[in-house]
Amino acid sequence: MAFLRALRGAPSTMVAFVVLLALLGVAVLAPPLLGHTANRFDFAAVSASPSPTHPLGTDRLGRDLLARLLVATRLSVGMGLLAEALAYLIGVPVGTLTALVGARWRPMLMRVIDTMIAFPGLLVTIYLITILGPRLGLVGLAVGLAVPEAFRAARIVSTLALSIAGRDYLAAARVVGVRWPRLIVRYLIPNMAETVITSFSVGVSFTIVAFSGLSFLGIGVQPPNFDWGRLLSEGVDSFYETPAAALGPAAFIAVAALAFAYAGEAVARAANPRVWTAAQPARATGRSGLAEAVSSSSAKSGASDPTLLVEGLRVRIGDAEIVSGVSFSIAPGEMVGLVGESGSGKTMTALAIARLLPAGAAVDGEVRLLGRRLAAMRPRQLARFLGTELAFVFQDPMSSFNPALTMGRQLTEGVREHRRLNRRTAAEAALARLSEVNVPAPRRVLRQYPHELSGGMRQRAMIAMGLMNEPRLLICDEPTTALDVTIQAQIMDLLARVNREHGAAVLLISHNLALVRQNCSRVLVMYAGRIVEDLASDRLLSDALHPYTRSLLAAVPDLDRPRGTPLTTIPGQPPTPAAHPTGCPFHPRCPLAQDRCRRELPPLDARPGGQRVACWMAEVEATV
Amino acid sequence: MLAGRWMGFLGRRLLGLVLVLAFLLFATFIMVRLIPGDPAVVILGQNGTPDQYRQVDHLLGVDRPWPQQFVQYVTRAFHGDFGSSFATRQPVGDILRERIGPTAELAGLALAVVLLVSIPLGMAAAHLTAGGRRPRLEVAWTTLTTIFGTIPQYLLATLLVFVFALELKLLPVASGRGWQALVLPVASLSLGPTLALARIVRLQVLDALVQDYVRTAESKRLPLLTIYVRHVMPNVMATALTVGGLLFSSLIAGTIFIEQIFVRVGMGSSLIGAIQAHDYPVVQADVLVLGMTVVVVNAVVDILLGVLDPRTLATEG
Repeated sequence: MAFLRALRGAPSTMVAFVVLLALLGVAVLAPPLLGHTANRFDFAAVSASPSPTHPLGTDRLGRDLLARLLVATRLSVGMGLLAEALAYLIGVPVGTLTALVGARWRPMLMRVIDTMIAFPGLLVTIYLITILGPRLGLVGLAVGLAVPEAFRAARIVSTLALSIAGRDYLAAARVVGVRWPRLIVRYLIPNMAETVITSFSVGVSFTIVAFSGLSFLGIGVQPPNFDWGRLLSEGVDSFYETPAAALGPAAFIAVAALAFAYAGEAVARAANPRVWTAAQPARATGRSGLAEAVSSSSAKSGASDPTLLVEGLRVRIGDAEIVSGVSFSIAPGEMVGLVGESGSGKTMTALAIARLLPAGAAVDGEVRLLGRRLAAMRPRQLARFLGTELAFVFQDPMSSFNPALTMGRQLTEGVREHRRLNRRTAAEAALARLSEVNVPAPRRVLRQYPHELSGGMRQRAMIAMGLMNEPRLLICDEPTTALDVTIQAQIMDLLARVNREHGAAVLLISHNLALVRQNCSRVLVMYAGRIVEDLASDRLLSDALHPYTRSLLAAVPDLDRPRGTPLTTIPGQPPTPAAHPTGCPFHPRCPLAQDRCRRELPPLDARPGGQRVACWMAEVEATV
Repeated sequence: MLAGRWMGFLGRRLLGLVLVLAFLLFATFIMVRLIPGDPAVVILGQNGTPDQYRQVDHLLGVDRPWPQQFVQYVTRAFHGDFGSSFATRQPVGDILRERIGPTAELAGLALAVVLLVSIPLGMAAAHLTAGGRRPRLEVAWTTLTTIFGTIPQYLLATLLVFVFALELKLLPVASGRGWQALVLPVASLSLGPTLALARIVRLQVLDALVQDYVRTAESKRLPLLTIYVRHVMPNVMATALTVGGLLFSSLIAGTIFIEQIFVRVGMGSSLIGAIQAHDYPVVQADVLVLGMTVVVVNAVVDILLGVLDPRTLATEG
């Protein structure tokens, strides 16, 4: 069970449960064993300091403080448990009722509960004990403590019941004809138990603290009864003479509060480890070894520097190598597609180039933008250079805009930072860019928030934002995947136009080979963190050599395909970064695989016409 | 269109506020009527003359029908008239005026400390531990914030008095004047809520840091501080404010303890004294004023949330 799993977990959890058991033991045993000692006056030792006979000293009537403290445990912990139990006795029906009433009344009930929770519980308790105290004594105290807690309980129960009621398995059980009592016992209670235990335990912690506080103020337990709070207030009165008299009860209250709160959270942690344990993402593990021999890649080095040159790029996250030695270049004004299945390392490659990888990713290799080595630049210089020369268009235009800022703010902050434009000039520039990407009513858009725009408009705005600084390279990561098909075509036309008119080079990342073939002049095919083929788009259909490229092509739906021939799918799964097969990573799925493919990794070899292929069977393929 | 939605939102919140305040007035009104036994007997004891009992009944207004009493109570409350104290015969309004200032000072300072310290602190902690870096710092942070978030203010006050006033003799324990007299009360009132809020801010910032829009901001190469202040903070503020509102209510409750421990004049010490002296008009007025403060602050927070996050307006009916 969750409880036992929690115990086996952290040692601190063990400590919390041991403390809990000890408190309960003391609450049961101390009054019969020490009750007499706790109330025995010893006028020979009044207000005594701690000594072997009185470990915490004595009070003003010479009573042993340790004995009193231990005896008081029953009242303090008992009241905490009793009041919290009472709170659940009220809260569970109220919460269930809130969940059961229709959607018409629920918001109102919820609002009442929320208002009560936001109100200080102490005031509610004081109010109630003023009314009930004289008549009911300790029971009045328990009720006073329970009521504010009851609203908390009601809130938790109603939220839980609603979320469980909406789940599929419950609907399924009802369809099968499971009756309500069984439904509650078999489905509702087990699913609510852990959360309820947690909030109950945390609630006991609150209640013990609140109860001790009331007694400390003198409006809780009245003499001759005594609890921790009462002992604390008596101790504080004689703070100067015997600090231990106050520190003892203070420690008991704190320890009990922490133990109940911690034990409750431990149950929750055990029940739902993913949410509660601190995120433990991969940490950077040193630099990877030397890049394996990568064939010289600046094959297409023309007269001028390429806009982007990538050599031997590697990305590791933890023990997994996500990108394994990628090399390619993009000429000025060129539009290059990077294709592959999800998990092939396309996005990681792009993020590594743009230096946007999350902390904890280790990057190795060389990236040159406009001939400058990024790794050699100083941070401020680099920020300015990348901020103006490189722009990124992300996949999801909804989540990639900040929901709390206006579009105008987000479009202009880049130029305002890097070009020191004033607000008005920057806004004019933004208007021009928005009109250029065919956003209607651009002036209004600048004042709007992202959620007020449609998906297509947001992606246009994202491209406009990318163009603000007139970058030389635009990296677009699946820019149309989150959009519907008609919008996709418009966005691709727009990118092609931007590429033509601004002369900005574009790296288009996509899993859609057809889209890349239609829009880019060159295609890079990635598989398992490596580029496996690199060739011109117009030669793709005729000259692709890698079996993976060819199977991708075969999987593209095509109007020319005779009706009735099935679309080819690539059998098997792409390898995970943690478990690359030996040899060519594609060999388990490759129809042409030979012994050599299983043993040795094929290098990315240059072939005539600027083509590059990493396949042992390329010769064979070429001659077929 | 937006303006209309905004007015609707504001209208609903204000209506809610009026309803809660009305409920609060009613609850404090029936409080005195629900106290067991005859209030006049509670006040005068068993040995009063019939005339004296009648006089107290008249003072309390309990000799008229309930609805009429309620109307009178509300009318008078609006004019700041809450009758006079049983114990001192002083008008309760005067007692309130005298006591609100010191409590507002204490709670206001504590709230300022909470907000000014917890948000930067939580952000710094998030920045230092983002992406699983510095796991030991994270463990220490979580442990400390949990412990100080759980320990009640009155224990913290006791502990701080012990360390700073009794052992180190750096600051005055009670009474005293000037800022030194405020250091320990404000510290013991704000330390717990500050760390509790900082803990939540850190989690929220960590959550915001992995959002796509932060990566977009990073892709524009904005300075780190701009990214945190402009892009992360607004998305953290909603939660910080919500929790801050709840913490304010615990701050108000905390002042009751702190005033008692540091022997400060204020609403809290007045309330406790009045309860012990069965001085019901004062109890009634104190509960009403403290409750109203919390309710009004919560309503302001609610409205601020609407201003801050444009989506709440859109998603609400």
